[in-house]
Amino acid sequence: LSPRPPAGAALAGPLLAAPVTLWLLAAFAAPFAVVALLSLHDYADPFGPLLQPPAATQFRTILGDGFYLKVIAETLALGAGVTALTALLGYPLALWLVRLPARWRPLGFAVILIPLLTNVVVRSLGIVLLLAPDGLINQGLGLFGVPPFRQMLFTHGAVMIALAQVFMPFMVLALYDVLQAASPRIREAAESLGASGVRRVWLIELPLSLPGLRAGVVIVFLMSSTAYVSATLLGGKKVWTTGMLVWQEALQNLNAPLAAALALVMTLAGVLATLLVHACVARLTPWRSGSGPRSQGLTLPFWMLRLLDLIGPLLGRLLLAAALLLLLLPLALVVVQSFNDVPQATVAGFRAFTWRWYERALFGGAYAPSFLVSLQLALATGAVAVALALPAALALARHRFRGLSALSAFWMLSLSLPHVAIGVGMLKLLQVFTLLPAFAGLLAVHVVLVLPFAISLLHASAEQLDRAQEDAAASLGASGWSRFRHVMLPGMAPGVAATALMSFLISFGEVTVTSFLTTARMTTLPVRIYAEASFSLEPTAHAVSTLLILATVLILAVLNRLVRLDRLYAR
Amino acid sequence: MPAMTISRRHFNRLILGAGAVAPLHFTRTAVAQPKPGDELVVGVWGGAQERIVREHVEKPLLAKYPGVKISYVLGGTPERRARAYAERGRPSFDVIYLNIFESRQAVRDGVTQAPTAAVENFAHLYDVAKLGGYGVAFNPVTVVYDKRKASKPVTSWKDIWNPEWKGRVAWPSYPGAQGTAGLLMSAKIWGGSEANIDVGFQKIRELKPFAAIQGSQDQLYGMFDQGVADISIEFGSFTRKYAETRNPNIEIANPVEGQAIAMNVACITVGTRNQKLAEEWVNLHLAPACMMAYASDIYYSPTVKNLVIPADLRPKLVLGDDVAKLVDFDWDTVIRSQPAWSSRFNREIAG
Repeated sequence: LSPRPPAGAALAGPLLAAPVTLWLLAAFAAPFAVVALLSLHDYADPFGPLLQPPAATQFRTILGDGFYLKVIAETLALGAGVTALTALLGYPLALWLVRLPARWRPLGFAVILIPLLTNVVVRSLGIVLLLAPDGLINQGLGLFGVPPFRQMLFTHGAVMIALAQVFMPFMVLALYDVLQAASPRIREAAESLGASGVRRVWLIELPLSLPGLRAGVVIVFLMSSTAYVSATLLGGKKVWTTGMLVWQEALQNLNAPLAAALALVMTLAGVLATLLVHACVARLTPWRSGSGPRSQGLTLPFWMLRLLDLIGPLLGRLLLAAALLLLLLPLALVVVQSFNDVPQATVAGFRAFTWRWYERALFGGAYAPSFLVSLQLALATGAVAVALALPAALALARHRFRGLSALSAFWMLSLSLPHVAIGVGMLKLLQVFTLLPAFAGLLAVHVVLVLPFAISLLHASAEQLDRAQEDAAASLGASGWSRFRHVMLPGMAPGVAATALMSFLISFGEVTVTSFLTTARMTTLPVRIYAEASFSLEPTAHAVSTLLILATVLILAVLNRLVRLDRLYAR
Repeated sequence: MPAMTISRRHFNRLILGAGAVAPLHFTRTAVAQPKPGDELVVGVWGGAQERIVREHVEKPLLAKYPGVKISYVLGGTPERRARAYAERGRPSFDVIYLNIFESRQAVRDGVTQAPTAAVENFAHLYDVAKLGGYGVAFNPVTVVYDKRKASKPVTSWKDIWNPEWKGRVAWPSYPGAQGTAGLLMSAKIWGGSEANIDVGFQKIRELKPFAAIQGSQDQLYGMFDQGVADISIEFGSFTRKYAETRNPNIEIANPVEGQAIAMNVACITVGTRNQKLAEEWVNLHLAPACMMAYASDIYYSPTVKNLVIPADLRPKLVLGDDVAKLVDFDWDTVIRSQPAWSSRFNREIAG
């Protein structure tokens, strides 16, 4: 006999799901509706009314045009490539992070978060200097007498590497939490049965971390298939993504309807891809659903296991080295450039030492006020995002109700809509938007952009909770609240910390939507740097990035003393 | 006390009356003088340009009107323009900086005001700088190249088609000031025009394969540094700065056909609540101090005729007769055709 659920339990799910839904209805549904309405306009009229008789003209244009279809297909392929690359490089990195002694972990985190701390323009320049004909890679190859590869820049490959670098943290953090949660007992059991390290990874840790991988894959795929700043800087307009097309049509050609339709086609593709990933992971993790026919899960033929035993350790180390190099090399360039006495930031090679850029970053110009705006905004975004996403994640993990799946699709929608399109939607709402206090308006939008990540990460985290602990607490008379406070919350602490950090960093670096909404009194740091790059970038941006990286290492070190970044029983 | 009632007809008449009186608001006498607490919002590019206007426009403006506040919205032209269009009539900007073709279009679309003599220095402007707002700097577009790779100096736009540059051209992306100039000049020098752009597209296609498509001056300079490309079409002004400080091998051509006009334009928005302050802002931008800073710091040429320029700076700028030689276009046609041309460019030239 199962115990009767307490009265009101049926309401728990909807109540938990309500805050995030309300926020998104207030701050995201409106721009999304604008985008949907715009896409049904027959022709572009920048001053025409928003409500017009619907026409499918824009969609017919897109679907009947080989160029648009080609760009859409290439963008999706790019997204898939970036996802595969981040998974391949991110996995060894996440395993490395999990196994790192707790003392060194803050440094490990800092390494992974470096790309997110580095402004998008600065970061892309770093990759340019890495891949350029006289760049680091070719210079390195030259030492071994290998002739330079001159065609690495301005290709899909270059864009892929740049995107993989910046999206790796998302993948690693998604994996970190679930890997961290795998009970050491499982590992001991495998070891006692004679499983090698490689087999343990393949047969136990990988399958158990699939929910985290799912979150990582969805996030990275959607972000990379809607990216446009890095694609523009590294693709040199030889590489086209739909994000770039949306930007060009909406801003340069003032053709918002076509831009909106393109964005919606991408959103649809993104939603379909998400469903596909969820279905695949569900098939590979039959033990999680507990219903339906029991499939085999992930199995490998014997010969392949032997092969993995042989090459696994070496391959793992090589991938880890590649991942670390990809993260750290551009950082080295950023730091070097921040002390470089050069007229513009695009100069390769060191000329002379100077403190000038630090002086300008800290005292000259308006970097300091912009930094403060960004800092406040990011802190508020992190706090609000966690507060909203935590109940939502618990609803997903514990209190499912009819309609929750559809609702959760809505929660993730802002991730699959190219961010440029959110900006375009907001443009039409500027009159309303500017009535809000500037800070509240930016906060509302930043939270919208961050929520999908926060929900994904916390959902994976909530699913890893050990129910036995809660049952134990309940049997000792703990109420629902105190079980949440003393058992679940500490259990999810690493997930919450990762979510808060991630939300902070996304908000801190956001430029695509913010550049549409920034007001005279609220210029965020990335918008300032991006604006500078619209003329010519100076290494001040590099000095700012270096300072941020330094600050993050320090903050993480302090944080690690206050909140442990790992789970209780993993110690 | 009897309640105040207004019949519908009476009300309509009132409204009509108000409409008839309304234009008076736009006459000179009705413009309020700036007072402490007023805030002027300026949309401008970041970096060197922001620094120059802060120093040479904001400071003297604050000296003249103590207590007013200047705020900046920084960004690229497309974002700024899209916002100004979205806010037409109720702008959050008072002054925005645009490129030449966007500025003329913005006046026609009722987003920004046509220039008037209310700005004192308007009188000193070259005629071409009096259209679509107040031209504040010429930065014409021309051929720039690595002189080590050239068998003889480039003297004509047609030189880009010399076989020696095959595969070494970084073509500028369209739309955008440089890409627009590249396309229009290609059509013009090979017998076409704005109205017959096909010639231009065909000639540009002949140049394929491109070493790269460049999307900004910063990107092009990186390409020159790295030897990715040897010739391109770019603003001569800042490229000269680049050549002097970074890459002495780069030469800025002065083609016989003339350089293609490009201009930064200061535009006062329609509906600004700070008309007088905005005009004072533009006036100070056109004043000698700011013009000289632009000319000496980033080699943007003055749009006013009353500036005395030191002899050593003169050869680096576009002045006097050279201004008359700048190639201008029918921007109406250009703007109207932009969506079609950019779609064609994406398909035939880039990618």
